Amino acid sequence: MVTLATLRDGDDLSFPRLQELLGLTPGNLITHLRKLEDAGYVTTAKSGSGVASRTSVSLSQHGRKALDTYMAVLRQLLDSASTNGASPHSRAWQARTESARPCSRIPGRED
Amino acid sequence: MVENQDMSVQEAAAIAANARTRARKELVISAPVVYMAWGLVWLAGYGAMWLSVRGQHPYRGPSGVSIAAVFVLAGFAVAAVLVLVHRATAGVGGQSARYRRIIVASWAIGYLILLVVQAAIGGSVSARTLAFVGLAGPLVLAGLIYILASILGRDRPALVLGAWLVIVGTSCTWLAPPAVLATCALAGGGAFLLIAVIEAGLGAHAS
Repeated sequence: MVTLATLRDGDDLSFPRLQELLGLTPGNLITHLRKLEDAGYVTTAKSGSGVASRTSVSLSQHGRKALDTYMAVLRQLLDSASTNGASPHSRAWQARTESARPCSRIPGRED
Repeated sequence: MVENQDMSVQEAAAIAANARTRARKELVISAPVVYMAWGLVWLAGYGAMWLSVRGQHPYRGPSGVSIAAVFVLAGFAVAAVLVLVHRATAGVGGQSARYRRIIVASWAIGYLILLVVQAAIGGSVSARTLAFVGLAGPLVLAGLIYILASILGRDRPALVLGAWLVIVGTSCTWLAPPAVLATCALAGGGAFLLIAVIEAGLGAHAS
């Protein structure tokens, strides 16, 4: 989602380019995209046919807002962790930010 | 891909930051580099033409060598910008792609119109008027294109640059041809270089 957020509103990225940028296999990327699409965070579109067909992916407005919220929460947590000297390894933190954490469900990767 | 529900905040933030850095490097056209390339072309190109007309009495126009140098420099700049743009925009579709096509078409049509107007008025106007159209005309055109690009892309630096180029170009109406060349080199090319520095600073600040 962070990668897609780099694009301007109204832009999309082709599936092969997104795959190249993320270094994922096609199968892995499809799995991630399906989850994000189910959550309403990305939209995929297919155009053309045959050899000229193109699958493109773009971040939805809902996805952009969710990502902004997620990043804001991350920043707050980092700020408070550096202020308090406390360890952020807590299930309580995970539970609190669950709804604003669209990307953490994607194991170890930001799409 | 390993499922890691215990990812720390720092790890999550690092992943996001790395992804953002990589995406910006791959998908964002480097505005400072583009402005720098054009700035050097305008500065060196107009500068070379100015050097070739210094001391010409009466004014005969820039030398063939200096004009050829402009075309060579412009050719390099166009090639460099095309490579940069292609790398950043490969696979990117949607609104930006449409705007890019509009800008490219505007450049092509604009220069064509400029050449046609120059040819049409060639024998019937003063050398000063012809010099204005031929020398300052490209600067005014560039300014108008940047204004258009700024409207399409909501790009404030491009709007400022475009407006400045139009002002500089049209003010050349009152100048003798050698002064037109010097003005376009310094005020025109210099503006591109200044915007390049400002954009580089803004980019460094944002990251």
